[in-house]
Amino acid sequence: MPSVGKIARRTFLIGSAAIAGGVAFGAYLVNRPIPNPLLDDLGEGEAAITPFVKITSDGVTLITPRADKGQGSYSIQAYLIAEELDIDPNETTRTPGLPDQAYYNSEVATEGSPLPAYDESAAAETIRSVLRVVPKLFSVQITGGSSTVPDMYEKLRNAGAVARETLKEAAAQRLGVARADLSTQDGHVIAPDGAKIAYTDLAADAAGIAPITDVTLRDPKEWRYLGKAGLPRTDMEAKCTGAEKYGIDLALDGMLFASICANPGIGGALESFDASEAETMPGVKRVLEVKAGNPGVAVIATNTWYAMQAANAVVCNWGAPNYPATSAEMFDLLEAAVDTKDAYDLRQRNDGDVEAALSEGEVFEAQYRIPFLAHAPMEPMNAVVQVTDDRVDIWTGTQIPLFIRDRAALISGMDAEQVFVHVQPIGGSFGHKLEMTHVEQAVEIAMAEKGTPIKLTWSREEDMTHDYPRPASVMHGRGIVKDGRVDTVDISVSQQAMAPSWFGRLTGMRIPGPDPTITTGSWDQPFAIPNYRVTGYRAPDLAPVSSWRSVGASGNGFYHDTFLDELIHKAGADPLEERLRLCMHAPSRKVLETVGEMSGWDGPSLGDGRGRGVAFCLSFGVPTAQVIEVTNTEFGIRLDKAYIVADVGRVLDPGNAEAQLFGGLIYALSHAINSELTYEDYAPLQTNYHDYEGLRLYQTPEIEVKILENMPGIRGIGEPGVPPAAPALGNAIFAATGQRLREMPFNKHIGFV
Amino acid sequence: MRLTVNGTEYEVDVTPDMPLLWVLRDELNITGPKYGCGIAQCGACTVHVDGLAVRSCQLAIGDLAGGEVTTIEGLAQPNSLHAVQEAWIEHQVAQCGYCQSGQIMQAASFLDLNPTPTDEDIDTAMSANLCRCGTYPRIRAAIHAAAKKLQEA
Amino acid sequence: MKFTASLCLAIAVATGALAEGADLVIAPPAEGSVSKQVGLEAWARIYEVASHPRCANCHTGPSDRPMWSGPTYGKARPHGMNIRAGESRIGAESLLCSTCHTTKAEDWENANEMPHAAPRVAMGWALAPVEAHWFGRTSEEICAQLRDPDLNGGRDVLEIAEHLGHDLILHWAWAPGGGREPAPYSLQEHVDDILIWGVAGYPCPDT
Repeated sequence: MPSVGKIARRTFLIGSAAIAGGVAFGAYLVNRPIPNPLLDDLGEGEAAITPFVKITSDGVTLITPRADKGQGSYSIQAYLIAEELDIDPNETTRTPGLPDQAYYNSEVATEGSPLPAYDESAAAETIRSVLRVVPKLFSVQITGGSSTVPDMYEKLRNAGAVARETLKEAAAQRLGVARADLSTQDGHVIAPDGAKIAYTDLAADAAGIAPITDVTLRDPKEWRYLGKAGLPRTDMEAKCTGAEKYGIDLALDGMLFASICANPGIGGALESFDASEAETMPGVKRVLEVKAGNPGVAVIATNTWYAMQAANAVVCNWGAPNYPATSAEMFDLLEAAVDTKDAYDLRQRNDGDVEAALSEGEVFEAQYRIPFLAHAPMEPMNAVVQVTDDRVDIWTGTQIPLFIRDRAALISGMDAEQVFVHVQPIGGSFGHKLEMTHVEQAVEIAMAEKGTPIKLTWSREEDMTHDYPRPASVMHGRGIVKDGRVDTVDISVSQQAMAPSWFGRLTGMRIPGPDPTITTGSWDQPFAIPNYRVTGYRAPDLAPVSSWRSVGASGNGFYHDTFLDELIHKAGADPLEERLRLCMHAPSRKVLETVGEMSGWDGPSLGDGRGRGVAFCLSFGVPTAQVIEVTNTEFGIRLDKAYIVADVGRVLDPGNAEAQLFGGLIYALSHAINSELTYEDYAPLQTNYHDYEGLRLYQTPEIEVKILENMPGIRGIGEPGVPPAAPALGNAIFAATGQRLREMPFNKHIGFV
Repeated sequence: MRLTVNGTEYEVDVTPDMPLLWVLRDELNITGPKYGCGIAQCGACTVHVDGLAVRSCQLAIGDLAGGEVTTIEGLAQPNSLHAVQEAWIEHQVAQCGYCQSGQIMQAASFLDLNPTPTDEDIDTAMSANLCRCGTYPRIRAAIHAAAKKLQEA
Repeated sequence: MKFTASLCLAIAVATGALAEGADLVIAPPAEGSVSKQVGLEAWARIYEVASHPRCANCHTGPSDRPMWSGPTYGKARPHGMNIRAGESRIGAESLLCSTCHTTKAEDWENANEMPHAAPRVAMGWALAPVEAHWFGRTSEEICAQLRDPDLNGGRDVLEIAEHLGHDLILHWAWAPGGGREPAPYSLQEHVDDILIWGVAGYPCPDT
């Protein structure tokens, strides 16, 4: 019988269900009944829930549905359950489970909210709660937008608590004592006399009783794991011994290996090809044309290397895609759109009277731009697919398993219920694995070799040249300073639409309305500037683009903060003091003050060719400030030191949060300094890490991190470390050299050590 | 073609120009060494050949010349992890972890050559191993810690 | 400067496929048969080779940083990844050159086919000795170094020529693969020029 407890929280409740050999605890959704993947395994009359905990006589399984691409989400999801369940997560089996609509992510869309994150009013909360429903409508089991922790924080602890109390109740009934007299520890219920009963021993009993859903979550002061310094990530040891199996490492019996060369002009046709040489090369089993995803020619071989060598030897004749051929033409279109009425997209900030201010004062103008950027995670795109007459199995590291399921069904002509997506640990993503072109290709290849598992691996060159990059954009800023203060800021950003480009690829649907990513990170900053306006302009579609770590804020954080720094300099004010004076959000001010204290801020100059820059960006609800110190040496700019302060509301894994913040800074600087994709003949010129270099260890400054907990709620930390890094570096270089950098990558304009 | 990996001898039937990396991964299912770039830019494929770090994507199997191959899977002793691995875990270095097999193999080989490295030595030895997640600050700290462990051992 | 008795003998040196052509012929002109002017013309061509990035990038003198240049690196810049060859000139102090520049014991056709991969030859990769400082130096400076036995490994012209025959790293300069621009002329033409220059009495510009 479905034994549904009372509503534990607003949008979900935790129940239990009998499963073969034991019991599962998980979420029922109250707003709308959603079919459940466990149904297939359940007998007549058994309950259907979305499980987070499964306990059988064989062991305890924790189900952590949000993908782990390196940010530690599997680990923190396991600890969230374990904190209430009283079990060492390392003693459990941990799995992401099969993707299911009931694992929808209600937090991922809130970054698109029309109210800035610092607005905590009731109205703002209402709008955010409506937005939380939107992903459910689209079946969105997505990992992204730094949303895992806020979305799972209560759900998983509730699941752990309901499981714990139900196990205690089962033990109470067995022992004939009151549940209140029992306690739990390390996977056992402890009887008043100290006797221990393992959870696994209670699984069958627990399946037969109504779940105890009237639970109170523990006070954070009682936490054993969460919030504790030195919490070991559950995946750490496997990653240090080579035992961790990523999607690319999977081996199935009888598996063959594939690689592909597809049109680098994405969306363009494959007009003809000559595979005569490739077909004769060692290890090659088959060469075939692939139409799904992005047209190209695939090679199936006995070894990935043979497949890549042969794919390189295929001579292809590509048709032109539907976008301009060169970066130069694309930037011309971006420049043509900015500040034009026809291209107007969205204005979410319009304080004071900017037009009047600009018509009176002495206007300072500056123009900025940022390039297309590849995600370039270490693990290139790959998928293992096996197609049989009645099912499709897909093993791949992905942030969008349900979109993959539906698309694979479409390509293979099967029902979605016949497609099984087995999500694998991911060797880095930064947004790359929010795409599925490689899986579409792999499904079509595997359909040609029915019954044989096929592992498709993109070469690094294929990966770099077939990414859906961060969009390029341009910004025109106008400002006025008055009486030593910043008086007017007018920012116009022009970018092609990003969110519709991505969502259209995933769903075939065109999202109507404006694209808020064009100005996310600049319109929503917590500053009170008398005349303050941010406007997004929508350029025509250029090369197809996608989300890139911190999304809109990756560029807008640079535009907004650097332009503010320019104006502060014009005003003759101190960069930190003037930001503090303008900031009207207490937690954000605290973040700025703290970074000032940590860095011993006493002005931008450090003397002797040395300088420091401060930058701030509020993104994903996390106010983040950074100070970077540089020296102008004879070999170029050297990065000496960096400080990061962020406020996440509540920190669950301090060590990992610190790593995400400094990792975000390093990722941002990698691109700020020396990375860009430039298009010639419809394709990126950069093909591998030799010309898309990223930061190396010797270039990395010493970094100090401090995390504050003054914000309400709880926030994810995977992305907010990114946006302030580029402006902090640019502002530091200005302080050290007097040279203002308005275009990334900076190495186009100044040398680095 | 014969080769010895982690003390076990294998026979493989591949062309002699196949990089060691792809023999390990696709022929022997030893997947600790990772494919990242194929051109010695990232170091994710690093293994030891006769104790020295080598990018396995750059070494043709035909050129192995009887060299003994050790991968991350063979770095630990049966009952204890290598000091570098212990330090990596203590410092919680890995994020996505994809580059870390290579980082650890490079660090282990480097500490063999230079047991008491300075920060500058580490900057020189470890800057050819790319990490896109940005784990560098902890790599630096973990190498110092591993050096200390090895000194005390 | 004197040549050895074998001066008139043509020496054939097997060079392997990494140099173009299988064999290198060392056949110096007769002593006294080359004018200073012809010798200087030969030197000008030798300098073109020595100063070419395929050669000069690893002749960095007192610096232990190899250089990179080429279509994707723009002007010459220090080898990425903070590579230092150290006093050992093979990176033994930190990161051995051989970590990436593996030894290609047999001469596969595609030894260096992969664009942007680490070049490899049938011997250990290394920086040239400190004395052989060519990167960024003038024709006069390189010429003075190359003819000075104290700075050229104690070699006379024939020994230089033989060295060119044996040193497989420098053969790579004419067959760099991977879309890289080779050094000018050919290895054989370069050796011929060395011999002409030597027989002419090692003339250097402005001397």
